[in-house]
Amino acid sequence: MTRIITLRVNGKSYENEVSPRLLLVHYLRDVLGLTGTHIACDTSQCGACTVMFNGESVKSCTMLAVQADGGEVKTVEGLATNGKLHPLQQGFWEKHGLQCGFCTPGMLMSSLNLLQRNPDPTPDEIRHALEGNLCRCTGYQNIVAAVQWAAQEMKAKPAAGVAE
Amino acid sequence: MTVVTANKLLGDPVDRVDGPLKVTGAAPYPSDVTYPGLVHAVLVQSTIAAGTIRSIDAADAEAAPGVLAVITHENAPALAEGPMTPLLGPAPPSPLKDNRILHHGQHVAIVVAETLEQATAAARLVRIDYEETAPVLGIDNPEAAVLRNPWGLETQRGDAAAALASAEVVYDETFAIAAGTNNPLGLFATVARWEGDRLIVHESTQWPTMARQTLATVFNVPENDVQVLVPYLGGGFGAGLRTWPHAILTALAARLVDRPVKLVLTRPQMFTSVGHRAETTQRLRLGATRAGRLVAIDHVGTSTLGAEAANMEFISIETGAAYACPNVATHDRQVRLNIPSPGWMRGPGSEGNFAIESALDELSYTLGIDPLELRLRNYAEVHPQSGLPWSSKALRECYRVGAERFGWTRRTPEIGSMREGNWLVGYGMAGVTFGGAQLPCQVRVSIRRDGSAHVRSAATDIGTGTYTVATQLAAELLGLDIGQVRVEIGDSDLAPAPPSGGSSLATSLGGAIRDAAGNLLRAFLNVLAEDHRSPLQGRRRDDVTAADGRIHLVDDPSVGETYSDILARHELDELAADGEINPQADGAGMAPSGPFAARFAEVRIDAELGLLRVARIVSAVDAGRILNEKLARSQIIGATVMGIGMTMLEETIFDPGSGRIANATFGDYLIPVNADVPDLDVVFVGEPDRFSPIGSKGLGEVGIVGVSAAIANAVYHATGRRIRSLPITIDQLL
Amino acid sequence: MNAFEYVRPDDVAGAVTMVSRDPHASYLAGGTTLLDLVLKDGVVELGRVVDITRLPLRGISRGDDTLRVGALTTMEELAADPTVTERLPFVREALLLGASPQLRNMATVGGNILQRTRCRYFRDPTVAACNKRAPGSGCAAVTGVARMHAILGARAACIALHASDLCVPLVALDAVVHIQGVGGKRSVPLTEFYVLPGDRPDIENVLQHGELITEVEVPLLPVNARSGYLKVRDRASYEFALTSAAAALLIEDGTIARARLALGGVGTIPRRAREAEELLNGAPAVNQTFRAAAEVALRDPFTVSGTAFKVELAKRTIVRILQTVSGVQS
Repeated sequence: MTRIITLRVNGKSYENEVSPRLLLVHYLRDVLGLTGTHIACDTSQCGACTVMFNGESVKSCTMLAVQADGGEVKTVEGLATNGKLHPLQQGFWEKHGLQCGFCTPGMLMSSLNLLQRNPDPTPDEIRHALEGNLCRCTGYQNIVAAVQWAAQEMKAKPAAGVAE
Repeated sequence: MTVVTANKLLGDPVDRVDGPLKVTGAAPYPSDVTYPGLVHAVLVQSTIAAGTIRSIDAADAEAAPGVLAVITHENAPALAEGPMTPLLGPAPPSPLKDNRILHHGQHVAIVVAETLEQATAAARLVRIDYEETAPVLGIDNPEAAVLRNPWGLETQRGDAAAALASAEVVYDETFAIAAGTNNPLGLFATVARWEGDRLIVHESTQWPTMARQTLATVFNVPENDVQVLVPYLGGGFGAGLRTWPHAILTALAARLVDRPVKLVLTRPQMFTSVGHRAETTQRLRLGATRAGRLVAIDHVGTSTLGAEAANMEFISIETGAAYACPNVATHDRQVRLNIPSPGWMRGPGSEGNFAIESALDELSYTLGIDPLELRLRNYAEVHPQSGLPWSSKALRECYRVGAERFGWTRRTPEIGSMREGNWLVGYGMAGVTFGGAQLPCQVRVSIRRDGSAHVRSAATDIGTGTYTVATQLAAELLGLDIGQVRVEIGDSDLAPAPPSGGSSLATSLGGAIRDAAGNLLRAFLNVLAEDHRSPLQGRRRDDVTAADGRIHLVDDPSVGETYSDILARHELDELAADGEINPQADGAGMAPSGPFAARFAEVRIDAELGLLRVARIVSAVDAGRILNEKLARSQIIGATVMGIGMTMLEETIFDPGSGRIANATFGDYLIPVNADVPDLDVVFVGEPDRFSPIGSKGLGEVGIVGVSAAIANAVYHATGRRIRSLPITIDQLL
Repeated sequence: MNAFEYVRPDDVAGAVTMVSRDPHASYLAGGTTLLDLVLKDGVVELGRVVDITRLPLRGISRGDDTLRVGALTTMEELAADPTVTERLPFVREALLLGASPQLRNMATVGGNILQRTRCRYFRDPTVAACNKRAPGSGCAAVTGVARMHAILGARAACIALHASDLCVPLVALDAVVHIQGVGGKRSVPLTEFYVLPGDRPDIENVLQHGELITEVEVPLLPVNARSGYLKVRDRASYEFALTSAAAALLIEDGTIARARLALGGVGTIPRRAREAEELLNGAPAVNQTFRAAAEVALRDPFTVSGTAFKVELAKRTIVRILQTVSGVQS
């Protein structure tokens, strides 16, 4: 009862035969080898598996790979362009918005979703926009600073943060 | 006061060297590892807390698509027990020994199949018939066995009982703290592969050296034939200090199916399989003079323990060291229950701080003395237990600087006297005296002909920044740019190292790197001993230092040559040296200090709705020399937020009848989210520690300690409600 | 548990036929409830998953006094709708307080109405006693660890909570659910859509197997009404409600001309507080009135040790939201 799906991930086209039970996150990690998207709860509660699907952040542990058929997925591996870090990636590094790094990819994708809708968020808006992403290491403070840093950077150099 | 900051690269807020890997998703965690032919394992766990397995019917599971093996106690080979562990005591009991069930969630089978989906499906088909007996649950259960002074850590000085009997003021209260679960974001994973009799394990561990020793002992193979790899770990907080049964089962499965096997714990399994902070109760008695001098402390700490497991717990470990009090007695109790084994969770002993620092706050109201002043009146100028001078102690500066930054003098002492709109405002504070040891550690440091250095040790970076501080230290000591230093850790084949745990690693590894760097300079001088072409021929270690990629005379920097030139001339690719530290406190003439801190908290309370929100916390910390301010600050902030969780949210709840953990998900076990985080201010004070070769003291845990008391004391200041049980939830404040 | 079949029908009628004919089939929309229950918790088994996410049931249209919301409209889309912001502000508040952005991007309005309880005893197949999962097996939550559980409409057979935030203002507004089945279409007021646990906690609403929610019709508040949604919880965000309340008031000269009030976090179903509304209607907008309404709304609760505190908390939640909406100081 497998199905063939066709989708674009980070701008590249893929066609695979998958079981209907396969979650999008396992498809990304195990079939495509894109292990930057992490799993930390399996129950839609931690946000570590957040990816962009058709331009919006979603939890890839809460979507079947077959549902993504025909769609466009962006993962943390697709955030940098031509080896140049996205301002959010730079911000998380520069502002120390990470420790163990496990929540970071999901945090980045949720931040991307936020900045697409609100290019100049207040700290409070950032805290609420990232509520679905749990972090156990950093205490979040530097994550907020990292997103602010990226927002400034993207305002200053609009081309830097172009979100497809 | 000396603010410890820059000393060349040391202390510089260098961006973490692993940053680019982590922001691009390229850092390889154990769960990311795969191999050709890799198969997947899923655990089957007990659904009762006590009793025996009458029978297991695995036929349907074995017949399910893709299934390679269903391993139970009926078909598993006997496994040896793991070794005694320095620091932590006996290893967790090996799995699948017999048909006895000691806790809900005990691993009773492991199912291996070609795909994760197949293994998950098959695991649900394993039918187990249990003979259930009544579990022993509840910390105050009279049927539970109680261990007294199980670790020999009880302390006594003077005569606490007599001093209490004659004290002008006596305090006697009990405290309770719920069990908590470490819950690093990274689900623990094991990928095991056998190459003949050699075992390679990618393992979520904070201690590769110990994991190797444990697996070698359990599978009865030489240690050299086991390699444990963990270049990156998705957090640990103590959960990765032991080699737990699931890791052993994965290695066993790999051996039996003769394929590489991957097991990733589920989030609910993270609650039952890798330890948790024990539930604790404490009785604390203080005797004091009316002038606020402590004359007696009697502290009994009781913690829960698994039915047959061991866990070194020391609620009152810092009680004797925190204040200058002549009469102190501390007592440790452990209660055996049918629960998954507790283990260390960031800042073990912080429970005792909650009691002591809450009690002093209560005493301050009884005596009419400012809480901060009361602590100063009992300041321990020397280590109270030994009478020796501290190797460093800047707690007084912590109080002073912290109070200043917080604005402690703005506090009006009357309860409920401060408001902002509908919110009651409360100020609270706590002092922190914490432990943390340097542990034996080894490292190998080498320099290659291209002038780059290579630092290798079986240490780990669990997110704390080991890669970065090791890079900075080696660069400074060898006179290199940080870009020229490569640090390789997370591999048990490298030089043995202590765990990322007990606030010990950065200082221990740093001491070893310092030793190795010195030895490496010696090794270069040895190479030059007969080399008349070298300006450094015949020089001794003390004559030289290193800078800008070269060794030169201390007195005359113009006399020297580069590492590259030396290696090239002698046709050497690389020169290496080992280093180690083996700290000996005996005879040092001082008491090795851990970190100290003062915490100041402001809370807001909506009394009608019982809402408690922390508005800000100021932390003034003495952790000796700060190796990297950016990393250090992040450690304190992160731990403070974990302390907020412990204080206001986190509670691992055991179902009273079944012993099942009732809230083993991230939807039900609440850890702080972004919006819970207040304004956090961190300041470092003090001086380099005299006992530490690099002057630093551990700071991975101190950030969690004192948060609970500071918040609870602020709650009292705002509302007049003294809360002695954690977490402080809405129902307690209604 | 076997592999399931995945199908993606092209039209509503085809989807309805497909599920109606197959007792082991289920609709899949946002997936935020269903995939957990099937794949992670393992408490629901399916033979066929019918993906309806691409059916033309997405979108919002405004009539004179109502908003017609396609069942597959996401929570995020509804929250962003200008009419919602302008005329149904407490719906927007409930949406934003109800889920994180990632979930709002996926979760649909129809799915939110049909979400299953978060009770851990229901969601853990190793727990034998759950009348909702296995009718007649008992209720482990009643004697177990209960906090996020219901106190209204609950009974010893089941105290599972309906945790929706969105549905709280929707029941207050008398929203109407439009349903399509193989036999045709029908409409049911949301207040009559849910079924109290009774002896069969597994029956949660009036839908027959295969019936599909196609649209939700939401009456708009009068232009001069004020509304608000208050959610009380331990964490500052991202948590289900311990208690919540949605209120809309039309106040004329200090008198409440028309009140709408509903409660969340306390009911086995989203809870309309009609008796409290009757008390409020025509009464002066003062604290005394609010407290009296709260007392009525929480009459005859069913509590266990872990939920007893919610009775008083819910009353205070009601008082606070009425104060906030009316502008009356406490």
